Amino acid sequence: MKIQPQALLRFSITAVVVIVALVLGHALWRHYMYSPWTRDGRIRAEVIRIAPDISGLVTRVPALDNQEVKKGDVLFEIDPERFRIALQQAEANLAAAKASAKAAGANVDAVLASANARRAEYDMRQDQAKRRQELADVVPKEERTDAKSSADTALAIWQQAQASGHQAGAAREQAEAAVVQAQVAVDRAKLDLERTEVRAPVDGYVTNLDVRVGDYAATGSPRLALIDRHSYYIYGYFEETKLPHLRVGDPVQIRLMSGGTELKGRITGVARGITDRDNPTGRDLLADVNPTFNWVRLAQRVPVRIQIDEDSVPKGVILAAGMTASIDVQPRRVLDKEREQPQ
Amino acid sequence: MPLEIALGDALVPGMLLVYLGCLLVLWAVDTIVGRYGLYRYVWHPSLFRVAVFFVLFGAAGLLLYP
Repeated sequence: MKIQPQALLRFSITAVVVIVALVLGHALWRHYMYSPWTRDGRIRAEVIRIAPDISGLVTRVPALDNQEVKKGDVLFEIDPERFRIALQQAEANLAAAKASAKAAGANVDAVLASANARRAEYDMRQDQAKRRQELADVVPKEERTDAKSSADTALAIWQQAQASGHQAGAAREQAEAAVVQAQVAVDRAKLDLERTEVRAPVDGYVTNLDVRVGDYAATGSPRLALIDRHSYYIYGYFEETKLPHLRVGDPVQIRLMSGGTELKGRITGVARGITDRDNPTGRDLLADVNPTFNWVRLAQRVPVRIQIDEDSVPKGVILAAGMTASIDVQPRRVLDKEREQPQ
Repeated sequence: MPLEIALGDALVPGMLLVYLGCLLVLWAVDTIVGRYGLYRYVWHPSLFRVAVFFVLFGAAGLLLYP
């Protein structure tokens, strides 16, 4: 059998086109599967749950819902009357403590003076006794013994006065410590009074304001959420197949679902763990392994943190935590090109 | 070329438009090739058409989404 040249030509043209089609189709498939982009990006922000540091009735709420506030602005105020009274009481206590410290100081002086008097008395009695002892021929024995014992008594009284002096000193120290204690109480009362005004710790937006005049605000229970306006970032949930093609520091193109606004950003980190959804703990503490199909495997999504370039946010664009964004990680050659340009 | 396009409020992949465009081009190519009787240089016309489509689609996809 002889092959016609025409038939060979026909076959080879078709074969070449089919092979090229296979190569291109495979390349496109790989590109689509592994090029790092996702439509599953979420804008997130750091939320501060504002809770009062003291309990009390809410008397004033100057903040409005969704209002932009500056750091230090008053968000709401708790009735300060109770804390003002507490401060007055603490100040009165401080004054009393100061007065008693002064009294204790005066007492020490008095006791020291009396100890000096006792000492003088003891010196006198001691001298007397000594003199009488030296004149043993003239002075009767009874009188000498009396003089000796009255000198001993004077010594005991002096020592007692000395002990009283120590006691008075200790009492003064105690009174001084009570003054410091009262001062601390005053400072604390002042702090409490200051904290009746709940202030914004950062620049941000008031959200979900759920506090009204007349509410009772309890210590530590959050009353409103404050979103830090400089903390917006994006979590892109990338399929695990795409992870090898992105690196920390890669520039990304962000496209918001709202209005298709384009933003720029940069990868700042890749999450190093997600929950294994196929293995929750079942009853009796046994593993509850989910049966999966043998051939169909779902790629897990791993969160990749992206920092938004604040300069690239157009004026008037509203960013809200929870919004959806598409994320396209710029291929490495774009990055390299950018690096070459400044030189 | 955007990765996704809002088509009547439904977000569709931009690839879908490329696909439709390639179908149009394929139709044009098919008409021209048929008109001038060039299919006599082709061994298996249906296979050839499918392969041409994949060449077009693959090339367009790879060029538009670098």
